[in-house]
Amino acid sequence: MKAIATSTKKVITGNHAVSYGAMLSRVQVISAYPITPQTQIVELLSEFCANGTLSARFIKVESEHSAMAALIGASSAGARAFTATSSHGLALMHEMLHWAAGARLPIVMADVNRAMGPPWSVWTDQNDSLSQRDTGWMQLYCESNQEVLDSVICAYKVAEKVLLPVMLVLDAFVLSHTAEPVEIPDQELVDRYLPPFRPLYRLDVNNPHAFGGLAPPETYMELRYQMQQSMEQALSEWERADEEYGELFGRRYGLIEPYHTEDADLVLVTSSTVTSTARVVIDELREQGQRVGLLKIRLFRPFPSEAVRHALRGARKVAVIDRNISFGAGGIFAQEIKSALHNHRGLPIFGLVAGLGGRDITPATIQEIIQYAQAHDEPEDLVWIGVKR
Amino acid sequence: MSKQVVFQSAREMPPMAISLNDMGFNKTGGWRYLKPVYLEKLAPCRVSCPAGTDWPRVLTLAAEGQFIDAWRLIRAENPLPGICGRVCYHPCEAACNREHFDGAVSIQALERFIADACFDLRPETHQREPRSERVAVVGSGPAGLACAYFLARQGVGVTVLEAAREPGGMLRLAIPSYRLPRDILDKEIEDIAALGVKFQPGTRISSHVELEELWQSFDALFIATGAHHSRPLKIPGEDNAGVMTGLEFLRSVNADHDIEIGKRVIVIGGGNTAMDAARTALRLGAHPTVVYRRTRAEMPAIAEEIEEAEQEGIEFIFLAAPRQIRRVGNTLEVECIRVELGAPDASGRRRPVPIPNSEFVMETDCVLKAVGEEPELPFLSESMETSAGLVIHNPKGLLEREGIFIGGDAQSGPSTVIDAIASGKQAAKAIQLYLQHGHVRPPKRRDKRSLTEEIAFEHLNPDYFTPAPRADAPHLVPSTRTASFSEVKGAISREQAIAEAQRCFSCGVCNFCDNCRVFCPDVAISRVDSAYAVNAEFCKGCGICAEECPRGVISLVEEER
Repeated sequence: MKAIATSTKKVITGNHAVSYGAMLSRVQVISAYPITPQTQIVELLSEFCANGTLSARFIKVESEHSAMAALIGASSAGARAFTATSSHGLALMHEMLHWAAGARLPIVMADVNRAMGPPWSVWTDQNDSLSQRDTGWMQLYCESNQEVLDSVICAYKVAEKVLLPVMLVLDAFVLSHTAEPVEIPDQELVDRYLPPFRPLYRLDVNNPHAFGGLAPPETYMELRYQMQQSMEQALSEWERADEEYGELFGRRYGLIEPYHTEDADLVLVTSSTVTSTARVVIDELREQGQRVGLLKIRLFRPFPSEAVRHALRGARKVAVIDRNISFGAGGIFAQEIKSALHNHRGLPIFGLVAGLGGRDITPATIQEIIQYAQAHDEPEDLVWIGVKR
Repeated sequence: MSKQVVFQSAREMPPMAISLNDMGFNKTGGWRYLKPVYLEKLAPCRVSCPAGTDWPRVLTLAAEGQFIDAWRLIRAENPLPGICGRVCYHPCEAACNREHFDGAVSIQALERFIADACFDLRPETHQREPRSERVAVVGSGPAGLACAYFLARQGVGVTVLEAAREPGGMLRLAIPSYRLPRDILDKEIEDIAALGVKFQPGTRISSHVELEELWQSFDALFIATGAHHSRPLKIPGEDNAGVMTGLEFLRSVNADHDIEIGKRVIVIGGGNTAMDAARTALRLGAHPTVVYRRTRAEMPAIAEEIEEAEQEGIEFIFLAAPRQIRRVGNTLEVECIRVELGAPDASGRRRPVPIPNSEFVMETDCVLKAVGEEPELPFLSESMETSAGLVIHNPKGLLEREGIFIGGDAQSGPSTVIDAIASGKQAAKAIQLYLQHGHVRPPKRRDKRSLTEEIAFEHLNPDYFTPAPRADAPHLVPSTRTASFSEVKGAISREQAIAEAQRCFSCGVCNFCDNCRVFCPDVAISRVDSAYAVNAEFCKGCGICAEECPRGVISLVEEER
């Protein structure tokens, strides 16, 4: 199914890239509560609803908890449902996140990564989304505005296949409020890629079912087992969705993206926009003859452990940059990498925490990280980068 | 019956927690230790209505625009809705639970609207098989009319004797037409005549012998001759020309007799007769002044009448008592003394005590005495009377003489129209029992199970009611009122009537709002014909139906095991 993508190019922010992605996915119900730095996403969607560009119900609610509850209802009724939130808004949704996933509802939500308070912060870090790691949502971390738009469309494809919700994550301001050229694919082509949502079960008075009822110990564990099975299946579904998208639109991103890892002694592991900065540094160091590589983790849940192991098979050292911290342990991506490699070979893995609360991770920061990892043989579980002690 | 679905492995299961069969196998009724019972309660409006009109059901019909059915339902308890819709003191509204929410339902205005809507309608003559018994009713006021009506509905032959030329008693003789237009009165009397009740106006029973004769020719008698004897002031000069009783004055005006009262009129008294006399005098062009020996708060007149009299500009002199009346040429001099309120008297009101040397004199053309009425019962034997002039209070309306019953004001002393109706109705029940069994027993409660508990506002669930403004009957502006005998109170519109009837909470009376059925988490409640049924196999006694019933119909009772 080869096709030449027809599209329009627009200079838009990451937030608006999300809105366009949702619009092109023909979402049917949107329910949201405003929060910086997300608000522009649903603002533009509300305009799309108002001016008829998008035929969807926009439900105003009094909190994020209600927003997600409304989407749970909408999705249960068979509607394609969308919302966006950030930071404390996401935290307020927590209970409903479990419900959406447990009810196997393919809701897609954009989370603009913003640090949790107190102290108040509107700037980026990943603690908000990573705090929701175990709710049963798939999580995808985006690096560019184009990737954001494309990922929304792919997210519905996968979510509706495996019946699990997707949280699509983008950095506050670095992506959310930064404009760059984005290809906006034609609706016709998106429709070819993403068929209408056909739920397995839905609220239907002519075919009544009780939803989310009591499951005794005899069945609860099996339902959880099935969720994990679906998560595992999602890995290949993401591969397939990505591949199909590439065929139709000419762009694909992979679940992870290795960059010069083949002959690298040291591989840097990044996610989100830090990856772009790191890519520049890797190029510079390569020119100087240093064998350094980069591994971008795009899909965090389900975690592509096998692909990560494969990408790191030749590395002698790994340095993971975490824009987050699990207090009392360390950076969360580092833990994930360690967990993926632990039973396989004794590869030194450095966990480095940097850029919390929107502090810039500059090329110099990344060089510092690389130098640190190169200089040390015994890795530490947690190394703070740039902290003023 | 459905079966429980059992899964052997994850492969057999749907991906999410979803029911694949109904829960019919799970007989949740076994969990129950309380059970809901539809137990209608008494609405306070109905309890407080002496006639016991079933307002919740009447207003449910009215809310649906079914005014004819509503009218019939009122008439099941009260034959005079057009009259009560105008002159009743509406204790129902004082008791209305909606008063605790956003104002009582305007029940009187609704009663009037319903009656007026059926003005051109003759009642169905659906009385029982005619019976051989014949009853004479002496007096055609509200008590006599009610008694005749309820007996006639049971097929009893009734003859109503009336001393005046036309039936109606105080309704016609005393109540002015600006409060009760005569076409309304005539219509409701005609509706009673339509049941076969014979009226014999111009027939006065004035002696024991005449009563005895009547007793011989009928199976039972009901004496409802009212309280027409005005109490004297017991002061010198009260028989002077230009001094008359309020009742005499009202009777003359209401019978269209010419009567000269002059410009200055003093009305003595604070009851309904005093108010009617003063307002009538005002309409004849006089300037009445009401002299009352207590304060406004103690006035026995209906509050509405006092308010309307004040609005019309009638002057009140409180805490003054007349000492004597003198005629000086063309003028009457009324000497009064200031009083203050002392210790309570037998009526529970504080006794007026004269203040020494506080006399003052008022000049007037006419004095209307209205300090109370009492029954005049010259036809009763002495053993039937009390020294006070009142027949001994007998709750069954039964005299010592077999087959003679007494009620209304003749029994109780001056009271209200609705109390007289209630008394006549009670007498009709007693007379029926007497005719059937030869003796009178207290009437049994209609239904032992229900109608026992009066429902208070706390037992309602006001979450289901939306505030809505009360529709009050319009009144003529005072300046227009006093120029004629036009009816002071107007009618609400059909739209207002429907909206006002919809305000009724229907306290304790199911109106099939369906909340119980909708909220039952076990789908155990269903509507069967004109009732709800609870499926005991599944009702687990959670009580949500009782909680969500807006009107307190459902009671939770302990399950019998």
